Amino acid sequence: MHFTTIIEPFRIKTVEPLRQTTRDERISALAAANYNVFLLQAEDVLIDLLTDSGTGAMSVNQWSGMMRGDESYAGGRSYAVFERAVRDVTGFAHVIPTHQGRAAEHILFSTVIKPGEIVPNNTHFDTTRANVNDRGGVALDLPIPEGHEPQSAHPFKGNMDVEALERVLAENPGRVPLVMITITNNSEGGQPVSMANVRAARDVCHRFGVPLFIDACRFAENAWFIKTREPGYSAHTPLAIARELFALADGCTMSAKKDGMSNIGGFLAMNDEGLAKRCRTRLVLTEGFPTYGGLAGYDLEAIAVGLREALDEDYLRYRIRSIEYLGEKLLAAGIPIVTPTGGHALYLDAKRWLPHIPQGEYPAWALSCVLYIEGGIRAAEIGSVMFGRQADGTERPASLELVRLAFPRRVYTQSHVDYVAEVLLHVNSLAHRIRGVRMLDAPEVLRHFTATFGPSREGLLAG
Amino acid sequence: MRQQSWAEPWKIKVVEPLRITSRAERERAIRDAGYNTFLLRSDDVYIDLLTDSGTNAMSDRQWAGMMLGDEAYAGSRNFYHLEEAVQRFYGFPHLIPTHQGRGAEHILSRMLITPGSHVPGNMYFTTTRAHQELAGAQFHDVIIDEAHDPDSEHPFKGDVDLDKLEALTRRVGEARIPYVSVAATVNMAGGQPISLANLRAVREFTRRHGMLLILDATRAVENAWFIQQREPAERGKLVADILFEMCSLADGATMSGKKDSLVNIGGWLGLRDEKLAEEARSLVVLFEGLHTYGGLAGRDLEAMAIGIEESVREEHIRSRIGQVHYLGEQLMEAGVPVVRPIGGHAVFLDAAAMLPHIPREEYPAQALAAALYVESGIRAMERGTVSAGRDAVTGQNRYPALELVRLTIPRRVYTQAHMDVTAESVIAVHEMAAQVTGLRFTYEPERLRFFQARFEPVHPAGLFTEDRPERALTMAISR
Repeated sequence: MHFTTIIEPFRIKTVEPLRQTTRDERISALAAANYNVFLLQAEDVLIDLLTDSGTGAMSVNQWSGMMRGDESYAGGRSYAVFERAVRDVTGFAHVIPTHQGRAAEHILFSTVIKPGEIVPNNTHFDTTRANVNDRGGVALDLPIPEGHEPQSAHPFKGNMDVEALERVLAENPGRVPLVMITITNNSEGGQPVSMANVRAARDVCHRFGVPLFIDACRFAENAWFIKTREPGYSAHTPLAIARELFALADGCTMSAKKDGMSNIGGFLAMNDEGLAKRCRTRLVLTEGFPTYGGLAGYDLEAIAVGLREALDEDYLRYRIRSIEYLGEKLLAAGIPIVTPTGGHALYLDAKRWLPHIPQGEYPAWALSCVLYIEGGIRAAEIGSVMFGRQADGTERPASLELVRLAFPRRVYTQSHVDYVAEVLLHVNSLAHRIRGVRMLDAPEVLRHFTATFGPSREGLLAG
Repeated sequence: MRQQSWAEPWKIKVVEPLRITSRAERERAIRDAGYNTFLLRSDDVYIDLLTDSGTNAMSDRQWAGMMLGDEAYAGSRNFYHLEEAVQRFYGFPHLIPTHQGRGAEHILSRMLITPGSHVPGNMYFTTTRAHQELAGAQFHDVIIDEAHDPDSEHPFKGDVDLDKLEALTRRVGEARIPYVSVAATVNMAGGQPISLANLRAVREFTRRHGMLLILDATRAVENAWFIQQREPAERGKLVADILFEMCSLADGATMSGKKDSLVNIGGWLGLRDEKLAEEARSLVVLFEGLHTYGGLAGRDLEAMAIGIEESVREEHIRSRIGQVHYLGEQLMEAGVPVVRPIGGHAVFLDAAAMLPHIPREEYPAQALAAALYVESGIRAMERGTVSAGRDAVTGQNRYPALELVRLTIPRRVYTQAHMDVTAESVIAVHEMAAQVTGLRFTYEPERLRFFQARFEPVHPAGLFTEDRPERALTMAISR
């Protein structure tokens, strides 16, 4: 008998109680948070799908690694364990720990970018873009056109437009210090990048003598998509695929809070020794000594174990399948989502779902508010609030208005997923009554985290 | 002179085995490390006195708190617990967590300093000054002269010299001094405290001139203990109350929780001004993480909140400083030159006095730290010319008045027997000091060079001019 049910390849060792709230309680909690779900207290949230970053459940092996943490300031054995694990997976010679991914970006960019220089990427994520801009650089997105089409069935919608990359490099000699590829492409719906695409980008980079760096946050999920979708890779292990992909690049930045299966941590890795030295000089200033990089020894141990667990086939199959499962339920109910479903999240297409709300009234943001009020679900807007403000201060609507339901790793069960589907079906019946929101106040940089909003005159829900 | 018993107010719950190495192994290890103790592997170290930063043993309550980590990206309940602890014990209404102290320094410097600014402070600290310079300011040391004299018994060698502060203000103009940076205690002076009376006077001065007062609160609890012990007007007050009063005199504070707060990772920026706090929150998102986690896991916020409560207890702080003084007094009785009075977190060896035959250009403190490691497996830290770095303008070595080696005691980690071995080892090195030779750079990083620099002995025979016999490291335990 061949069983087809995909079960979690683990059982539960420790649980964390959830708190039920009433709809009225949620209405006042959201008002107190100025209609920004980032500002809600976590205790008022039932199912927290705000992000998959740092929210995962660690395994018993990771926790036992926590107890082995060597907290020596310099030369700790936990660093040796960490360095070995990162080298084993990425193959890069120099491994620099950081407290999380954006610190790796900060160190790399403040070392290599000069004002006015251009950094091409398939699509920059929000903190990546902000760190490029902070150095006076220009963050240039070069996704393939299918990346912007929520319904395109392209298997690698995260790919970079390599022809456009070639044009940019030809037209800007000496002005591109590095090229980045984000795997998976978070801002375009958690969509994967193919090995062939990375190889093509690498060839162009080589021709122009520009280093290629991978933003590797979700490298294991990307490896799984390559295994299941790219011809010639079905017999490869995710580890072999990850190694092959990293071998095409000169270095990577990593947030271990995603496919490092940890609650905190990140790293920067590269082959160029001279660059590594300059990065370490910067590291000691803002992060910590090179053998701990702003992390406790116990975190280094947890990441070393987590990197290998993230590449486990049974785990990846279960993870990707859980999100697909929710996607199937929503598609059956006619709810517009980005297809195919991504690696770490399901993206609701608010532009198609709520066509009556103009982009200037932030439809995806309004939807995130309604999801919270109706079901206690917290999700993140990836639309005009996150991307609308341009570096020069002007406002331009984002190409997509998405709400991301990001799934923490190994945290929620199938019943939780069924509940989320039920809430979304209920919201679907209210969709025509949902109204936009007004932005009241926002900081210049990374505004979505702390901006404040008010409902329209009719409220969040009309009638 | 020896104080009352400092017996620890706890018992041991989890242990970590130590490895004992041979002299030949240590000779090879220090050579591989470029004669820089920072570059040793901790597995090759017997007693690690490199730093008290992040090397603490957490309590069972803190580990229980680790299991209560709420890893939600935004609005984690651990943040609110930490905020409550900081408000209650440090009194700052606005809390911005950071992954460690230098994360807070980075944000503070970027907010307050414009190019051409001047920042006075009670002696420099390495990372603090590096951030001030990176943001475009020049640092000015306005500590009292006694701080630079290792033999002075002044009870508050961390005090600010108000005449120096006044003179600087007249010279550069108050408008170009955004804030006065006050450390409690002063690490580079030997862990020396500032008095409450002096802090009040600095507060008065900054108020008159419209400057901010920013406290480096890293070891402020230890400082509060010294105030309770040494400042007649404050005797009988609780350490927690003194700490609160110290902070009430500051507009803001940077904090490394890895020291006083008994954790392995974590820090924060505390502010009174709402607008400044808003600005700090938008910067923390860029470099650290969302303002309710600041680059820390939820469990780390929880461990720090509990650690703060533990750190201000009288019996904890008495035992903590009692242990440091126990080591210091043994060394003083044996005639080893140390900075006096003994500070809060470390005993500082006066390398210039111990190795008078090594010129400053050959880094006597760096050589002493290397020699102590080879002799005994004890890892200490240079706090002298190598740490002071080069002048930003002239590019020349800065030669601080103090050429020190720091024996830093991690909190709740080592026993009285470990302190005995340490004392015996230092005394042995003191007796053969004439055989130690100087060092020269083989690699010198541009900034904060002490962390990653590499050296070689100037003498062809190596670090020691004569072959040295093996020493038994376990004598204190086996007697």
